Amino acid sequence: MIRISFLLIFLFSITINAQNNAIGVGEKLTYTASYNMSGILTDLAQVTMETSAVKTSKATLLRLKCKATTYSKWDSFFKIRDLYESYVNPKSLKPYLYNRDINEGGYFKNMKYTFSHKTKTVKTVQTKKNNWVEKKTVTIGPDTKDIISTLYSIRTFDLTSLSPGTSKIFTILFDREEVKAKVTYLGKETISTALGSKACYKLSLGSASSNTVNGTLWLTADENKIPVFVKFKIPVGTGELKIKSATGLKH
Amino acid sequence: MKKLFTILALIASIFAIIFSVLPLSNLAIIPAIAALVFGIIAFYLSKKAGKVKKIIQFSFLLTIMALAITTYKSIFTTTEVANTEVIEATETKLEEESIEELEELDIEIDDSDLEGISFDE
Repeated sequence: MIRISFLLIFLFSITINAQNNAIGVGEKLTYTASYNMSGILTDLAQVTMETSAVKTSKATLLRLKCKATTYSKWDSFFKIRDLYESYVNPKSLKPYLYNRDINEGGYFKNMKYTFSHKTKTVKTVQTKKNNWVEKKTVTIGPDTKDIISTLYSIRTFDLTSLSPGTSKIFTILFDREEVKAKVTYLGKETISTALGSKACYKLSLGSASSNTVNGTLWLTADENKIPVFVKFKIPVGTGELKIKSATGLKH
Repeated sequence: MKKLFTILALIASIFAIIFSVLPLSNLAIIPAIAALVFGIIAFYLSKKAGKVKKIIQFSFLLTIMALAITTYKSIFTTTEVANTEVIEATETKLEEESIEELEELDIEIDDSDLEGISFDE
């Protein structure tokens, strides 16, 4: 059984040789993050995902930016201002530079990764409060990406011909450690969103090592494959990410 | 039995009032309903026994207050994002720093990589 599943994963990773046809420049997706307990929703934060073009003298890169900000009613209790950004190859979504700047209830951390794909190393710089700086270099595997480019690269795969149950392992560099995440295709489902009723691909997100499922993701079943709804497990209740608006889509 | 329901009603109503003043005021509905149910049971049990204690009425009062605050908040508070100056400043700062850093990096992208990507700004 294990052998078969390995074979399936292997086949799956061959067939989906990622090419970005879904993500355009200037795309802006806005979400509402809320906490759901027995059907009672409480809005927590606004999450935006943006893409833009960044020109350097040598190349033009794609900047992927994710931002989480708590709503004003929460600010005096627990203020979150998180910023994640990744500068990637526009076609293959390979990251070159990654920044994570988080401010969660007074806790501050900044993390910077500089990817060197030739030497398979990542230079990391971590800054905390009072300018406490720590530098480290870590070695990575050939397909390791940061969390933002991984999130976007899920959208680049061709899901039309997949049979439910196929999965793919992603290696993510998070907190200077390589984490293996597993994304499983569950099938098609039509859900109602703020953008209207949408036919969606349903994917489950989880850890590859412990085989647990941590969340479910719905991507629209069109060329754009924008994530419209995310549901994730938390100890009590569930967390939800619902789309509010989408502008600048490619197709 | 009577005592148990009185205590439960009181505890639930205190939770309801605490939740209602917090930003997660919507959640106050759950303990508020529980407080009402426990309160009514305690009320009837004590009525049967002859004397209704003031504490039960007090828990009703708390619950009604909690429900009033929750309703008010759900109608009149708008969910909006404020105070984003700092994060916006960080965004521009990080972008500038990153572009500088990217200039130093050795990035190889062939033109074929850029096919099909239009940079409309």
